[in-house]
Amino acid sequence: MVNDRFRVGNRVKVKRENPQGNPRTPAYVRGKEGVITAVHGVIDNPRDHRGLYPPLYTVAFLVQDLFGGTSSDKLWVDIHEEWLESE
Amino acid sequence: MLKNVDEAKSHMHDYEAHVRAVEEDLEYYRTKRFESRIIYLARRGIVTFHDLLKAHSSLQRKREGSGRGRKAKVTMEKRIRALEDSLDDYVKGIALVSADGIKGVDMVIEDNRKERGDYDDFFRIKKKEHGGSLQGRVRKLEEDLRDYQLLLDAFTEALIQRGLLRRPDLERKRKVLHARGGWSGARIVARAWVDPEFKSSLIERGREAVRELGIPPGRTGKLGVVENTDSVHNVIVCTLCSCYPYDLLGDTPWWYKQDSYKKRIIQNPRETIRDMFGLNVPASMEIRVHDSTSDVRYMVLPRRPPGTDGMTEDELAKLVTVESLIGAGQCLQPSELGAVRKTQQPVAAPRTRPD
Repeated sequence: MVNDRFRVGNRVKVKRENPQGNPRTPAYVRGKEGVITAVHGVIDNPRDHRGLYPPLYTVAFLVQDLFGGTSSDKLWVDIHEEWLESE
Repeated sequence: MLKNVDEAKSHMHDYEAHVRAVEEDLEYYRTKRFESRIIYLARRGIVTFHDLLKAHSSLQRKREGSGRGRKAKVTMEKRIRALEDSLDDYVKGIALVSADGIKGVDMVIEDNRKERGDYDDFFRIKKKEHGGSLQGRVRKLEEDLRDYQLLLDAFTEALIQRGLLRRPDLERKRKVLHARGGWSGARIVARAWVDPEFKSSLIERGREAVRELGIPPGRTGKLGVVENTDSVHNVIVCTLCSCYPYDLLGDTPWWYKQDSYKKRIIQNPRETIRDMFGLNVPASMEIRVHDSTSDVRYMVLPRRPPGTDGMTEDELAKLVTVESLIGAGQCLQPSELGAVRKTQQPVAAPRTRPD
């Protein structure tokens, strides 16, 4: 299995489009920047989907970066490695 | 908890809230859990529409002569309770014909998500819109539930006729489903409050830790436990579908599956939990919304209410609400125990889930 490319604390950017990627990256974080807060690795979940997805990370975003406003609240979203680029 | 269901009376006091919960859940289960599955199997010729028609006719022949008796005049409260019971039957019936029980059909949850349009609106099955007087809505729900149950019965019979499901297996599954106890979420939380070692094990190892309580850890994904503290309040959502550790904690309330909750909570978390649930989080605290977009299923570990020193684990468990596990409410105060919980349950009680 591939080694996890990112570490907790790394800044990452979510790809805008990724036709080959799995569909579980919500539209509202695409093209946005965040910080890795957890590395989950590859999770075996055969009941849910066939085969294995790439390593999974939790990425923290600021609500205001995604939707504007002044809130300091955060959104933590789980995103697979194939969707992430180094900042 | 929801503002309109928290009054302390032991009988049903807010018909509107109960009816709305039935409407929302019924359409959710029909479109997301059941009809999308029929369409998936129909596309692949595994169960065709003609199979459904044939199964329906054979069921009708069996029923002939039994005839329905005239309905006695019943109160609105009884009619709504009956609706809630029929909805439970419908949801359990869907669970009985879930994909992993169908012989030789290679269907995973992700297939159903695609089929029902979680990633592409083109595939969405339209939900019925409700409105009008309470009387009218109740009448409509009674009709809908009868109709929806007919299709479910026909589908179940078609699976048997096509040899995809054996009657003894169905009966065995039915028994297991009805024997399944209440939700385990409260027990998990109460243990974490009294046992710091269990708490750290729960946060680190998730599902594996709950085995200690004699609770089967369930099967789907990894369990993520997020702890509420003095400085962080956590909230759970799944914007793509309605993921949640159902197998472990029981089902979520109807509003968790609603598009308006999903949309609002990510854009405006603080205002949303204040307006929808009457929960004011102090400005000094960060709100952290967790979107369950992949294989990790999240639960909130709520804060232990003050004034609960010396309470036993069983007593503490009674303070844990379904809402508090999602971050949409705090746990009950010891003084709130009793009547409040009774009125809350009919609307917020976890349902047994198909998948």
